[in-house]
Amino acid sequence: MHAQLTPVAPQSTAPSFYEAAQKIYPREVRGRFASKRRFTVLLLLGLFYGVAWLSWNGQQLLLFDLPARKFHVFGLTLWPQDFVYLALLLIIAALSLFFITALAGRVFCGYACPQTVWTEVFLWIEHWTEGTRSQRQKLDQRPWDLEKVLRKCSKQLLWLSLAAYTGFTFVGYFMPIRSIGTGLVQLSLGPWAVFWIVLYSLATYGNAGYLREQVCKYMCPYARFQSAMFDKDTLVISYDEQRGEPRGARRRGAPPANTLGDCVDCTLCVQVCPTGIDIRKGLQYECIACAACIDACDDVMDKVGSPRGLIRYTTEHAMSGKHTRLARPRLFVYGALLTFATGIIAYSLLTRTPLILDVIRDRNALYREVRGDWVENAYSIKVINEDEKAHHYRLQAAGIAQLELVTPAGLIDVAPGSVANVPVRLQAPAASAQGVHPITLRITAQDAPSIVRTEKTRFIGPQS
Amino acid sequence: MATPSSEDGGDQRLLTDVGLVSWSSFLAACMASILFFAAVDPQLLRDAGPRIFDNLSREAGYALGFFFFWVLGAAAAALSVYMVRSAEWHDDHRDTERDSD
Repeated sequence: MHAQLTPVAPQSTAPSFYEAAQKIYPREVRGRFASKRRFTVLLLLGLFYGVAWLSWNGQQLLLFDLPARKFHVFGLTLWPQDFVYLALLLIIAALSLFFITALAGRVFCGYACPQTVWTEVFLWIEHWTEGTRSQRQKLDQRPWDLEKVLRKCSKQLLWLSLAAYTGFTFVGYFMPIRSIGTGLVQLSLGPWAVFWIVLYSLATYGNAGYLREQVCKYMCPYARFQSAMFDKDTLVISYDEQRGEPRGARRRGAPPANTLGDCVDCTLCVQVCPTGIDIRKGLQYECIACAACIDACDDVMDKVGSPRGLIRYTTEHAMSGKHTRLARPRLFVYGALLTFATGIIAYSLLTRTPLILDVIRDRNALYREVRGDWVENAYSIKVINEDEKAHHYRLQAAGIAQLELVTPAGLIDVAPGSVANVPVRLQAPAASAQGVHPITLRITAQDAPSIVRTEKTRFIGPQS
Repeated sequence: MATPSSEDGGDQRLLTDVGLVSWSSFLAACMASILFFAAVDPQLLRDAGPRIFDNLSREAGYALGFFFFWVLGAAAAALSVYMVRSAEWHDDHRDTERDSD
């Protein structure tokens, strides 16, 4: 008899917030897909820890500077007024995910999701400090002795260090990383920076060290609704039931029994699974498509002399002997939306005017009588120079006959990436300014006439 | 179908509910904070809000806003869970009564 191998559940140290979760000891796996995942994990982690330290023209390359309310994205400075770009970027990211999911299933989950990436690294650390799957299981069951204390402590030390550095780097994308780095060394970091670093470190430690597959199973909304993007032509990981069943072990060297399928029921596919499922039971929502079971099974098939691919990337159509269609309406719709959104953002970024003009009417007085029969309105304007160089701007007002700009008299100078708050006074003859008049304020860069902004406001005169 | 009413099962379910409520409201609070603070500078609270915000830094404003949205979202989620669970309880209760008749 071959009893189904179930994960050993010792006194679990994991805080099981959800249904009585058993600790899963994923077995280490080698193979084509494991190498690919190792490569992606290292690449993504390298980008995450590295990009935070890169600069462009003396400015951090990627920094969502919340304290300064300015976003620096690869040399481009975005202001809160440019929020539409950020929204578009998020929409593009979501559409890309839909597109890739419809095409290739949950490749994001298996290779690129931060949860997978950090869990993988935490598993490597666990492997270095506590050994292989069976060694880890034995270690958890044995009483506390010096070796167990040493192994467990070194694991915790490495986990906590990595988690802390991850929290620091993460916060470094929202506050200038060099300044929080200096603040950390000199112990002069503000309380909120410390708070977010600690919070994010603890989240990393808990998610990658303990919650692991439970995040995918119970917390991830994408895992639940990704099936809406699936169809019968989507790439999934599947066990070839026709080829494998009836499963059963065979004696080494014995000729393949005609009565048995290719599955030797070694249960390695179950042991390597990070979410602890049995892929032979069919497609399950817990499957994050990491392909660890493919690697494990291919290895076994090589050893027993059967062709690889008993578990493989395939589609539901291919599995039932039908033709897999790559071009299908769903993909065209996602692709068209994606192209459209990318086109909009590219067009608007290329034609973007790096200048913002905000006009606020003076709230204290509707108007003031000056020079006998003239009236004056006061405004304050905010000129934001989003360009990478300084500009001198000229302000003009129009909308009423003989409307005069009294202040500012000269040009408005604004340094790159800065804001100038300028008081503005306009005067018009009382005769032509009775009641409420819509007017426009127009601001033009003297050295670059294409940089121009026009804003509407009102000029209020005495009632007739 | 009767639900397991053992002490253990009840505790487990409570933990599940707390997890669901805090997690879904956390996601909602993230979205709300992004949208809200894209339009509103937390320093507006200091300049225009009540006196208790007089010494509010921008960082503190962000954190305060985030936790405000989180608590608000959690309240809504908790109410939803409560409504669903209490309806379940009433259904189960009715079944039990009918069974025992």
